[in-house]
Amino acid sequence: AASRAAADARGRSERPQSAAASRIIGISLQEAQQILNVSNLNAEEIQKNYDHLFKVNDKSVGGSFYLQSKVVRAKERLDEELRIQAKDEKEKGWKAET
Amino acid sequence: MIAVGLGVATVAFAGRYAFHLWKPLEQAITEAAKRVSASSLSLYYKGGFEQKMSRREASLILGVSPSAGKAKIRTAHRRIMILNHPDKGGSPYLATKINEAKDLLESTAKN
Repeated sequence: AASRAAADARGRSERPQSAAASRIIGISLQEAQQILNVSNLNAEEIQKNYDHLFKVNDKSVGGSFYLQSKVVRAKERLDEELRIQAKDEKEKGWKAET
Repeated sequence: MIAVGLGVATVAFAGRYAFHLWKPLEQAITEAAKRVSASSLSLYYKGGFEQKMSRREASLILGVSPSAGKAKIRTAHRRIMILNHPDKGGSPYLATKINEAKDLLESTAKN
């Protein structure tokens, strides 16, 4: 299932910055969304799910540090995607004005 | 290591995309790499899950030794699953991984 997801992510057309982000952070956008259980890139929903999943997987409550790490990396990837999107929207705005 | 990777990535992207896209892309890559290497994140395991789950990854997910017996595996699985239960706001994808980890370790456990 994971390999299928990775193949799907590669097949879909991505912005070049997104592809770069996936490579650098080492996690695809799709998997990041699956981990944090978010279907759209909504900053509030991402933060809410991240806070919950980070907390329940903490070592202090008997959680798995490995799972917590995946949650952290997923958040990192989604934050990067939001940044890329915001920048893109901004630049579109500039182009529209010229 | 990162510089080499960035160099290769930059050259790869330069080859693929129109020249006017290259500079902002290069800058984006450099900035992303800087963010990722920030020390606060360096303690955590890197990347996403393995394409095909290994016994090593399974044992890390459940927080048990790779040579743990079946009883320990089940106890750990229960604990981690309760924490991550989808009915309580957990992620279905993570729940799948947790179950996959248990199945993998149990099938190869000696006792």
